[in-house]
Amino acid sequence: MEALNLNPTTTPKSCLPKTYFLKAPLLPCTFKPKFSPHNCQIHRRSFKKTPFSLTTACKLKTPQDNKKNNTKSNKIAKQIILSEGEPPPLAEESGGAGGSEEAPAKLGSGSGVMGLVKRLPRRILSVLSYLPLAIGEMFAIAGLMALGTFIDQGEAPDFYFDKYPESNPVLGIFTWRWVLTLGFDHMFTSPIFLALLALLGASLMACTYTTQIPLVKVARRWNFLQSSEAINKQEFSESLPRASIQDLGVVLMGAGYEVFLKGPSLYAFRGLAGRFAPIGVHLAMLLIMVGGTLSATGSFKGTVTVPQGLNFVIGDVMGPIGFLSKPTEAFNTEVHVNRFYMTYYDSGEVSQFYTDLSLLDLEGKEVLRKTISVNNPLRYGGITIYQTDWSISALQVLKDNEGPFNLAVAPLKINGDKKLYGTFLPVGDVNSPDVKGISMLARDLQSIVLYDQEGKFAGIRRPSSKLPIEIDGTKVVIVDAIGSSGLDLKTDPGVPVVYAGFGALMLTTCISFLSHSQIWAIQDGTAVIVGGKTNRAKGEFPEEMNRLLDRVPELVNSSLSRQSDSIVG
Amino acid sequence: MIFSTLEHILTHISFSIVSIVITIHLITLLVDEIVGLYDSSEKGMIVTFFCITGLLVTRWVCLGHLPLSDLYESLIFLSWSFSIIHMIPYFKKHKNHLSAITAPSAIFTQGFATSGLLTEMHQSEILVPALQSHWLMMHVSMMVLSYAALLCGSLLSLALLVITFRKFRRIFSKGNNLVLVNESFYFGEIQYVNERNNVLRNTSISSQNYYRYQLIQQLDRWSYRIISLGFIFLTVGILSGAVWANEAWGSYWNWDPKETWAFITWTVFAIYLHIRTNKIFESINSAIVASMGFLIIWICYFGVNLLGIGLHSYGSFTLTSY
Repeated sequence: MEALNLNPTTTPKSCLPKTYFLKAPLLPCTFKPKFSPHNCQIHRRSFKKTPFSLTTACKLKTPQDNKKNNTKSNKIAKQIILSEGEPPPLAEESGGAGGSEEAPAKLGSGSGVMGLVKRLPRRILSVLSYLPLAIGEMFAIAGLMALGTFIDQGEAPDFYFDKYPESNPVLGIFTWRWVLTLGFDHMFTSPIFLALLALLGASLMACTYTTQIPLVKVARRWNFLQSSEAINKQEFSESLPRASIQDLGVVLMGAGYEVFLKGPSLYAFRGLAGRFAPIGVHLAMLLIMVGGTLSATGSFKGTVTVPQGLNFVIGDVMGPIGFLSKPTEAFNTEVHVNRFYMTYYDSGEVSQFYTDLSLLDLEGKEVLRKTISVNNPLRYGGITIYQTDWSISALQVLKDNEGPFNLAVAPLKINGDKKLYGTFLPVGDVNSPDVKGISMLARDLQSIVLYDQEGKFAGIRRPSSKLPIEIDGTKVVIVDAIGSSGLDLKTDPGVPVVYAGFGALMLTTCISFLSHSQIWAIQDGTAVIVGGKTNRAKGEFPEEMNRLLDRVPELVNSSLSRQSDSIVG
Repeated sequence: MIFSTLEHILTHISFSIVSIVITIHLITLLVDEIVGLYDSSEKGMIVTFFCITGLLVTRWVCLGHLPLSDLYESLIFLSWSFSIIHMIPYFKKHKNHLSAITAPSAIFTQGFATSGLLTEMHQSEILVPALQSHWLMMHVSMMVLSYAALLCGSLLSLALLVITFRKFRRIFSKGNNLVLVNESFYFGEIQYVNERNNVLRNTSISSQNYYRYQLIQQLDRWSYRIISLGFIFLTVGILSGAVWANEAWGSYWNWDPKETWAFITWTVFAIYLHIRTNKIFESINSAIVASMGFLIIWICYFGVNLLGIGLHSYGSFTLTSY
């Protein structure tokens, strides 16, 4: 029989591999043929597995089942959308959460205490992994977050009394009582929001455990479909007259499929990673949640405004955020601001802020020196120092060549966001009740505007120019403008965890885009019946299949009869 | 000076070409589809693509940083993304319904960007301290790409909804251009009319339902595919933004309004993807979620910037808010 098939006139394209394939149903040999063009292998399924092991999985997707479920799904979907439409999305949600606890309780009362203990975890799992619940949680979280951006956060209670008065409630019901009792004035740390996040985390875990992992186990099995009806029921099906299933196998391998052959039936799949990845997405989300919790409970934060040339000790500035916050050795480090300066564009706008920092240990020895700027923080011993703000602390002024005097500068409140600083140089008798003098205003460290005793504009001087200006007989030289640097300090033990979660999330989301495609085929006499389905790229799949099936060579008559013989025999 | 002139020329060329392309689209809708015209509209989109690319490159060279620092530039980038999404199927020889969505979207963003509304912002030449980072390119380009992809996907879903809910459709007669100026579902309407036209030409009335079903399925699949792509971009964009925030603002998550809305967008499209995975939900439900997503993207993209709140208000940027 092999000699027959080796005849080159019968199967001109791939005669050699074919002979090996045909051996498969006859001799259970473990010999795997290697194909040089693709260097991939055909796997043979062991005979131990029952052939119908997975027909149930395929049956799930039949149209009859869909119809049955339609009425139910309609209701669920409507509920969810309705709940989103109502102003306080919490009400139903807390109800839903309560329901999840009630359900197992009811069941327990029926079947005794032991039954309750045994069934409770499973019951909770199944409730948590119920997809509509998870979707409801996500909607509720999204709704709360949206609400959190509309309600001003972190104001004093008086603010909410004014903004949401009981006499004139927003949407008829929404007053400050809602805001304050539900904690919407600090939405993103409010118990309701955090509880919802925790519930979502629980749902994530439950779903991964009860739904995703079994799905992957199913997908990993090679299941052959034995009847052409089963294959025709697939989302894509096609019948190839005068073809051989081995040729199809080779073509599919060329397209990157893993191909398994058993007798007259073929199973091939591609993109299994696309099935695994959603698990990874869920785990990455959990990792981020864990990291976030760690950040919220174990951080230190501090803000300080230090004039150029002064010092501060890190531990004095930092305050703990959560109950897990533990100070470290590095908190004893002293920080010295060597210099604070800005660089400017030609148009006069600030281009960057720089602070030259020295870190000194307990003995006063410099351990680190770095110039930080926005986007370029300093990291030392788990502490990060950010450049976040600035102000002007003093002006150094020569008055009639005396001095230099340091004039303290005060921030002035004006309309708009731009900063403005001012100071005052008294002229004449300082002790008189109506002392007059020269006013100086500055928007940045670059130029100072001077006004005379009557408040009239006198001139502009740059600290760098050392150019004197004479106002009402007083000669003033502005020697320097001393800035102070606004620094944010923090330690955050959650960052490595969160970053790991970020990396995993990016990777797994990308992999999730891969489509898990499965193809079944069966040799039915001279024809090959091919069916397939895919879980994501449903639009492209038929096109791709048609392209692949076009490549399957059509057999001439003489070889066909022999082939079908050989398969039967 | 030469740069600004070049920029001006390119802006106007791209805008006028997109308008011509739209006109051609309308003509092919109203009159019989002329193959030559369809071809030229495709070529027009390619020319537009190169014009907008040129525009972005000139701005890049001229300013010395990636042109993504304010609303105007991000709008230009958005229309560039639309034209890229338009081009990909063209090169892969897929004939699909995306073009009916992407071309009008491109003209709207381009038109809005060049219109008088934002003229004062064209001249923004400086990069504020907080934006001087390599993350700018990664974060903003990913975000805008994801907006473009998600907008396309949710518009396809909107079209699906329009088609599904129009049980009693008025009979489309050639020359009845009233249909086209239907305000609310403009894109969906174009899509719908386009397809109706094809259906009318290709088939008899009896098989209409079959074609309608097929069209709905195709819209569904394409919107799913493009939304998943946009979702990837959105994920990468948000996460790179978080990493950047940890470098610049001292925390990877600040609950800043823009961040929050990006997260809301992410959540809504995550819901969409989950609804899709489950067979018990119909495609209508996912389409409704996707159309909600459409609104939310606009709030995220424009609403927050127009209000000028939070740390992301670079459109009206001032020193103190860095």
